[in-house]
Amino acid sequence: MVRDACSITALFVLMGVLAVGVQVRDRDAGWIAPADAAGKANPLAGRSDTVTGGRKVYQQRCATCHGDDGRGSPKAPDLTQPAVQEQSDGELFWKLSSGNARQGMPSFSFLPELQRWQLVQSVRSMP
Amino acid sequence: MRSILVILLCLCATSASAQERAYFVTYDHYLEERGNLEIAVATTTGFPRDGNSTYTAPWLELEYGVNGWWTVELYMEGVTTRHDGSGFTGWRWENRFRPLKSDHRINPVIYIEYEHINEASRIQKEIVGRGRLHFEPISELREEHVHELEGKLILSSAVRGWNIAENLVVEKNLSEDEGLEFGYSVGVSRSLGGLASATNCHFCRENFVAGAEIYGGLGTTRDKTLRDTRHYIAPVLAWRVSDTSTFKVSTGIGLTNASDRVLLRFGYAYEFPIGGR
Repeated sequence: MVRDACSITALFVLMGVLAVGVQVRDRDAGWIAPADAAGKANPLAGRSDTVTGGRKVYQQRCATCHGDDGRGSPKAPDLTQPAVQEQSDGELFWKLSSGNARQGMPSFSFLPELQRWQLVQSVRSMP
Repeated sequence: MRSILVILLCLCATSASAQERAYFVTYDHYLEERGNLEIAVATTTGFPRDGNSTYTAPWLELEYGVNGWWTVELYMEGVTTRHDGSGFTGWRWENRFRPLKSDHRINPVIYIEYEHINEASRIQKEIVGRGRLHFEPISELREEHVHELEGKLILSSAVRGWNIAENLVVEKNLSEDEGLEFGYSVGVSRSLGGLASATNCHFCRENFVAGAEIYGGLGTTRDKTLRDTRHYIAPVLAWRVSDTSTFKVSTGIGLTNASDRVLLRFGYAYEFPIGGR
């Protein structure tokens, strides 16, 4: 009897985890990069040889929250959505450099600048 | 039932990205990521002057990101010496708060710590006040318990790939009236890599952070001189062993007669998520 109750409880917990697992966190629409940062050009623009390295850094630093394919998770928003992809390279660079502590997005300004631009390339190359 | 538990464990056992703070004493403005737990083990090995016993002070550090602007840490520490014995030297409870939402030119972090340690403590995670370490037998020093409250103002900047961090320390011994004790630390460091390589590699330059820190005591409100204060300068090196773990090393050189000749430090940290973000 007790064993059955434990099994049923665990099953509900598992269903809860799976239900939460399919939700994706909303982006913070009020988080806007300053105009001068938004206009910054990507020094790696047009370089296809650096994209793979960017994907590696993405998997190391971002995939835990944004998902392997960038489609988001309960922890972080979908990076493939138009509202993200329509932002300039400069805006994305500023956001991943600055972080958003209130939303749980860490600052990656400790990474070399070129690696942060590679991350922007990686976000751009998402399906 | 067992299979359900296994599934639950697998769902939780994803990796987290380790940060590579190379410093042992100086804090920068990067807090633990929300929901991540970092478990670290580290040691400080001191080579004193005047023939006193070499000592090694290990500590265990549990660091958890409560949310994006608040990180808590629990330390448990001990000491062992060549001739004077060994023992547990106490615990510390640390909180760091980041008041600003995003990075700025200078990023402040407020640090508050409660320490329940004894006079045998030698991890030297911070150095305040003045005077040498005590070198009586550990068993005697362990009888002298102290409760201390410590505050730090952490200022940290990211400048052209460099991290520059300054910490001002103030400590109050709640067990004895010693006035306020002051200390400082300053660190600079940078990643040795530029572009990330396309392949996974253990020894690529991008996996290393190098720098230096300088730290020491600035006297007390009772004795406003720098006489007999301890100061060290220490090159630091961190190696990102894997996505989730970091190894670091530092060799601190004592700059004054009150300082030990050398402080050799090693640390290994492993990070994983245990909660939601």
